[in-house]
Amino acid sequence: MKKFLSLLAILLLVCLFGTLLTACKEEEKDSLVIYNWADYIFDDKLTDFKQYYRDVTGKNIDITYVTFDTNETMLTRLTKGDSNVDVVCPSEYAIQKLIESDMLLPMYYFDDDGSNEGKKFTEDFGSDIDREKYVHNSGNVEQGIIDKVSDAFGNIEITAQGGNKGKTVSMVDYFVPYMYGTLGILYNKYAFMEAEIYDAELLNRANWGILFNDNGNGELLSEKLTGNILMKDSIRDSYAATVFYLLESGALEGLTDENGVAYKDMPVGELINTVDDQLLDKVKEALTDQKAQLFGYEVDFGKDDLLSGNAMVDLAWSGDAMYAVEESWNDELEDYELAYYVPHSTGNIWFDGWVVPKTCNPAHLAAVKLFINYLNRPDVAAANLYEIGYSSAVKSEAIKSDDDARAVLAENYVVYAPELWDVTDENGDPIPQDECDFASWEEFELYFFHNSYVDDDGETVSYDEISDSNWRYPFESAALNADNYRNIDSLGVMRDFGAQNKAVVTAWNYTRSAGVNALPLLGYTALAVAVVVGLVYVIILVKRARSHKVKLRDRE
Amino acid sequence: MKKKFKFRFTRRAFAYPYMIFLIVFVVVPLVIILINAFLDDANKFTFQNFVEFFTDAGGGLTVLGNSLIIGLVTTLICLAIGYPVAYLLAKYHANSRVFVLLFILPMWVNFLIRTLSTKAIFMAMDVELGMGTVLFGMVYNYLPYMILPLHTTLCSIDHSYIEAAEDLGADKMTVFLKTVLPLSVPGIVSGITMTFIPAISTFAISEILSSSKIFLFGDAINMHFSKTTNSFGVGSVMSLVMLVLVVVANVIVNLTSKDEEAASVL
Repeated sequence: MKKFLSLLAILLLVCLFGTLLTACKEEEKDSLVIYNWADYIFDDKLTDFKQYYRDVTGKNIDITYVTFDTNETMLTRLTKGDSNVDVVCPSEYAIQKLIESDMLLPMYYFDDDGSNEGKKFTEDFGSDIDREKYVHNSGNVEQGIIDKVSDAFGNIEITAQGGNKGKTVSMVDYFVPYMYGTLGILYNKYAFMEAEIYDAELLNRANWGILFNDNGNGELLSEKLTGNILMKDSIRDSYAATVFYLLESGALEGLTDENGVAYKDMPVGELINTVDDQLLDKVKEALTDQKAQLFGYEVDFGKDDLLSGNAMVDLAWSGDAMYAVEESWNDELEDYELAYYVPHSTGNIWFDGWVVPKTCNPAHLAAVKLFINYLNRPDVAAANLYEIGYSSAVKSEAIKSDDDARAVLAENYVVYAPELWDVTDENGDPIPQDECDFASWEEFELYFFHNSYVDDDGETVSYDEISDSNWRYPFESAALNADNYRNIDSLGVMRDFGAQNKAVVTAWNYTRSAGVNALPLLGYTALAVAVVVGLVYVIILVKRARSHKVKLRDRE
Repeated sequence: MKKKFKFRFTRRAFAYPYMIFLIVFVVVPLVIILINAFLDDANKFTFQNFVEFFTDAGGGLTVLGNSLIIGLVTTLICLAIGYPVAYLLAKYHANSRVFVLLFILPMWVNFLIRTLSTKAIFMAMDVELGMGTVLFGMVYNYLPYMILPLHTTLCSIDHSYIEAAEDLGADKMTVFLKTVLPLSVPGIVSGITMTFIPAISTFAISEILSSSKIFLFGDAINMHFSKTTNSFGVGSVMSLVMLVLVVVANVIVNLTSKDEEAASVL
């Protein structure tokens, strides 16, 4: 199905470029081609951007919006070199690959002071851009993300042939973060209650072991979990989850990498990027053992299986999980059936960000940069945040302190906040306070940014001490809830597998093929065939004997 | 004297579009697969892909073995179920149009929809997904491919052979074993090929009906080509192996059925 979709996307892309090229010659309009994930922007914001563009430059702009469904589709498209797209939004490891292949233009969004060989983010802006109206929004981006990316991708070596070969660059100069999310465990809360494992202490001890039905001491977490675990059909995510599990379960105790550094002493970010043969063997072993506990591997049917009770737990990304949780509202239980849990001590965090391929149309560069900067405006970020469900790279203070952004959230989440919006339904009738989903902005802010509420005693408490279902601002909720405490240092960013890619693919292929043995099947079939042939033969023999007898009798 | 190529608008010209189609979408991709099989990550010549596959480093050979066995078993079950059905359909030929339609009808439903529905039924019945369900799905999907060629061959058998055998005193069993069965061999062979070849390369059925737990050769090829990057080499080797299997199967078919009839059915 994915293949079909990507084929469709490519077809569309081809058609769009075809029409675009002819259209350009006819009209005096600026244009911009955006290549993004499907469902990864609040659609109205594209129209709003056209308006904004007109305000700033006095010109109209045509936007061509094309989507992709996997980083690999996008990479294939871009590396072919004929893709005329101006701005792309890949994940961090795909950006790493693009930088290594020297396919991206540096932007210097975060140091726009000309310190980079005199190059500035705004240098492509022509005279028709109203500098008064342009606000550089780089300050709105969460510093923690920039630091994380600098740590993990600060020294990328360009390996492609050409003038830049061997140069070391930092990803921060090339990309502007857009959304981020975490890897975690999506589970059916009520199934967990039934299995009597819905307990903070138990789950925190089991940690990533939940996916392996291991309670943290090498014993089964619950017999009911056997055959009800889903794993993501994705090498990268499964690898990360397994490494964390190995670390947490103590399987890496006493093991060191080739430089003699103990795995358990490595920071998380370093550990998941240490893909050596020893670790790979361990991962392979754990994943193979895990198969006995699995319901199966999923690509996009995981949510349905969890809701229908086919499976109890799945490895999931925060945005998918958030969407699944919101979809899982059960009127009878008056609760969400699904919940999302991110183990406290280790985890994986990823980023998607905007980059500009070298094959872009140079005449579109100003529009590209205006667009990227526009997305970091608090109200635009708030709308995208609401629409997409992942965490926005725009920091929460910027959103909380911006009236427009608050208005966007208040309206979409139906918050009773007359100071922000006019609190009316679609017919224009006012909504009374007790019919709003949130009685005040303060209540909403506690829920949305901190996953908490004020109880009857006036204390701020977490909605659920196990579940981290509200992971829009994970580090904010961490700061407010001791129960949910985790810090950004415990989350590692994963790089591309690089030279080990082949070994990892081989290991994954091995894991997937293990545990399936069709030989007994052959045995049974051979047996069945033998029985049938034997029966037929016996029947024939009996018949022959009988007719022989008849003949003998006739002769007599 | 050099002959000059001159385009003449003869009847042959109507075949050119399809020839072009074949070259672009069959020959060229095959050549690309062949080239890819000998390239490593850095696009340099290597035998490593073959070494990796044939030493079973990633379990590729095991997967192939499993696929062959499952394909074989599927084919045998299809034959065991399909032959009596085709026989009965052919025997009551005059009023069997409706029944033939009933057997072809499922083929008109997209097989993904059929398979997803099968999964839903199994889930509703609380059947554990695994080898059994995959086998069921395969038999269900490939049965028509077994029945149709058998039905065609059985229908085309001249009824006078059977009457002659009966006249000569053969009982029903002997009539079947001595006339019908030998005369239907071409149908059996073509039914087997039409079932076995797709069955060993299937991937969607095993993916859906076992929640991806049963990993077959088609799944392995699919994984190397789509879910990962830079693993086209091993994937191409697997595809080549698949291709060899198809060729071998065809050679066997041609050897066993030298009849013109068989060729026409194929």
